[in-house]
Amino acid sequence: MADTPVERPGDLSATSLTRRRLLINAGVFAGGVMLAGPLAACGGSSTATSGGTPKRGGNFRLGVTGGGAGDIIDGQKIVTKPDQARLVAGFETLLEYDKNYKLQTTGLAESVTQEASDKWVIRLKQGITFHNGKTLGADDVIYSLRRISDPKQGLFGTAGLASIDPNKIDKVDDRTVRLNLKQADSTIGDQLGQYYNGIVPVGYTRAGEQIGTGPYKVKSFTKGQQSVHERNSSYWRSGLPYFDTVTIIDFPDVAAQVNALRGGQIDAMTDVPAAQITVVTGQSGLAILEGQGADWRPLCMAIDMPPFDNNDVRQAFRLIVDRNAMLQQVFSGHGRVANDLYSPFDPAYDSSLPQRHQDIAQAKSLLKKAGKENLTVDLHTTDGAAGMVDSANIFANQAKAAGVTVNVHNDPNYYGDAYLKLAFSVDFWGTRNYLPQVANGSIPTAPYNECHWPPKDSNYISLYQQALAETDAGKRADIIHQMQKLEYEQGGYIIPMFNNLVDAYSTKVAGFNQGSKATLNLDSFGHGYRNIWFA
Amino acid sequence: MLDRPGPTGGPAKTGGIWLFIVRRILQGLLVLVLVSIVVFAATQALPGDPARAILGRGATPASLAALREQLHLNRPVVEQYVTWAVGLIHGDAGRSFAAQEPVSKLLGDRVINTAFLLLCSGLISIPLSILIGSYAALWRDRPFDVATSLITLVFAALPEFVVGVALVVLFSTTVFHILPAITLIPPGGRPWEQPVAIILPTLTLVLAVTPYVVRIMRASMLEVLESDYVEMARLKGLPERLVLRRHALPNALGPTFQVIAINLAYLAGGVIVVEYIFNYAGIGGALRDAVANRDIPVVQALAMAIASLYVVLNLLADIATILVTPRLRTRL
Repeated sequence: MADTPVERPGDLSATSLTRRRLLINAGVFAGGVMLAGPLAACGGSSTATSGGTPKRGGNFRLGVTGGGAGDIIDGQKIVTKPDQARLVAGFETLLEYDKNYKLQTTGLAESVTQEASDKWVIRLKQGITFHNGKTLGADDVIYSLRRISDPKQGLFGTAGLASIDPNKIDKVDDRTVRLNLKQADSTIGDQLGQYYNGIVPVGYTRAGEQIGTGPYKVKSFTKGQQSVHERNSSYWRSGLPYFDTVTIIDFPDVAAQVNALRGGQIDAMTDVPAAQITVVTGQSGLAILEGQGADWRPLCMAIDMPPFDNNDVRQAFRLIVDRNAMLQQVFSGHGRVANDLYSPFDPAYDSSLPQRHQDIAQAKSLLKKAGKENLTVDLHTTDGAAGMVDSANIFANQAKAAGVTVNVHNDPNYYGDAYLKLAFSVDFWGTRNYLPQVANGSIPTAPYNECHWPPKDSNYISLYQQALAETDAGKRADIIHQMQKLEYEQGGYIIPMFNNLVDAYSTKVAGFNQGSKATLNLDSFGHGYRNIWFA
Repeated sequence: MLDRPGPTGGPAKTGGIWLFIVRRILQGLLVLVLVSIVVFAATQALPGDPARAILGRGATPASLAALREQLHLNRPVVEQYVTWAVGLIHGDAGRSFAAQEPVSKLLGDRVINTAFLLLCSGLISIPLSILIGSYAALWRDRPFDVATSLITLVFAALPEFVVGVALVVLFSTTVFHILPAITLIPPGGRPWEQPVAIILPTLTLVLAVTPYVVRIMRASMLEVLESDYVEMARLKGLPERLVLRRHALPNALGPTFQVIAINLAYLAGGVIVVEYIFNYAGIGGALRDAVANRDIPVVQALAMAIASLYVVLNLLADIATILVTPRLRTRL
């Protein structure tokens, strides 16, 4: 998971990467999958679609929503949204997702190969150095992966890389590492592309010096205010980056953020509220960057707790939701309707399942069949992420039509003793592909299984294990479709919508190349601010 | 507020102004002790558990217990209070839960930034409002007075955030583009190095405070101008300018100082809104963030800082009132 405690992790609006795709697209061998070489050409400075020839120089000022005393810089974790913008300036991952959410070898690794269902080999590119001049080697990768695997560190990547055995990571040579997993896992490549699984040098600590391989190194950092990052002159992608400095400024208030952009004090901002979009587009010299996101805020029904232990009640509740209305009310339409399934960017996402629409008559008849007419339920929520409280209130309102009374409880202590023990609650998740998401939220061993999925008599878990062990992407997709069908027909999640990422920038800045699938704001912050420049 | 040392009318010869000041300081300290108890009790009652707020979704019973231990949340409340209060006396406000660093380090620059903003606002608004109020009284019912009354009424009725946003629209984003919409103070930098950037926040605060002081100054001045001693001074044939400077102004200032003190102290709260609008790195943003994070040591430190400001401003106002009011001075 990657979701954070207090603030909503970056996950929320951000994250993810493309997982499975990569494996599918990258050639399938009899015994394994290989991600390698030829793709490498598209990394780096590929972007530039506008603004002509890139130019060096300038101080790029970015306003990021949120932040506070909890701010940190760490190559493998974020707490607040600005942390995300700071992480990507200084740290890089072994693999990278491209703008179509496909995994590519444009990162630090020359290749990442699945030798067997439980063996992966990572081969580093040559000539990459850290900010302090040290050459990136196998030892750094081993240290980084062990740090992520250490539960005491509380890092985002821990759950996703749970199959890595930290004591069985072999150094093959100075640039090659072999992972011997505890169990078969075809999602390792996906995990290595997650922005928060950055590679840090041996001995790295959060409290120590911030040394990564990224295009900018930290010059100064004041929690809750701003950080300044200066150009890494010995960056391994030659010629990059373009700015002399990048300044990242915290904005607790979105109105101040928009004012700063309009007044020319910042060059770009994250998360423009829907009501302010026309204000930004109405001013010449400013532009909106919008991409489809895959973050989600489910209403979670625990399938083993009354009244949701009856599948008719769960399906009735799914039919109560007017998804379009909710999307309009919560995100002013900037997003798309969902179908109670997560991971829409996953190539194995089953889009052939019929879209659910509001059907009050059917919902009422299901409730009647279950003997639960005039039902009253409590719905617990909190201000953990944008839209969580709104979604709950709107659902309560829509449920009246079906004769269901929903009492919404907005609880500041939500993520405490009661969390995961509630019959009906709202939660939030970032972008992930299907299998990694299942590991985080849909099996009994997952840390955040709100719905207590799957049912005892279901073959869901054995399907999950088959899918992890399956190295053929096509066959794996078939298994995933079976899993999704089970969740679609009996699951406990109501997933009404996915919101877009809506950011704004001054047209003085060139080089943003947003694809249709957005995982981090502002085209992943211009890929660590390396692909953008002042025109 | 002003309390009079001697029984009214009685000849209280107790040592004059110095003794008065010492007594007021002691009273101020007593007030701060009481405030510290209230602040401590109130922060204990904040909804939400800090350990949970910090751990968020990652909270497990074991990690909650460990964190509560680390934050001393499981100690008796009285013991927590004493530890905290003793720390404060030694200048140690504890460690921020959220930032995991000393509160003094977290707030040091922010306190300076806010203090500077308040100072600028005070230095502009006090003389300005005394001047405007006095002239309005002198030219009672003339156009200047009528216009002043109207304008001050309007600004007194507008909350700071409306004024602040209107100024941004006017000077930064929409009508003119001449002043920065937010105040960016680079880390380690000082607000006085960015004079242009603090114009709008200062102006907002000046507009928030000045109307009240102008109105009280005008009323006070009117009363004085109609008094017997001013009439006597005029009858003696003193030049009008001398009458005003020597006799009218000092007597009118007494009540005004009290209002100024209240308003400046109010600014310490109003500044939170203004800092929010201008993304000004002061205590306002820190307080808001600390409340959201249940970062109790930071909330407590800021509450005490603001309470101390109240006490100090009231003390100064009392002393200033005594100094400009012969009647009170001689009674000491």
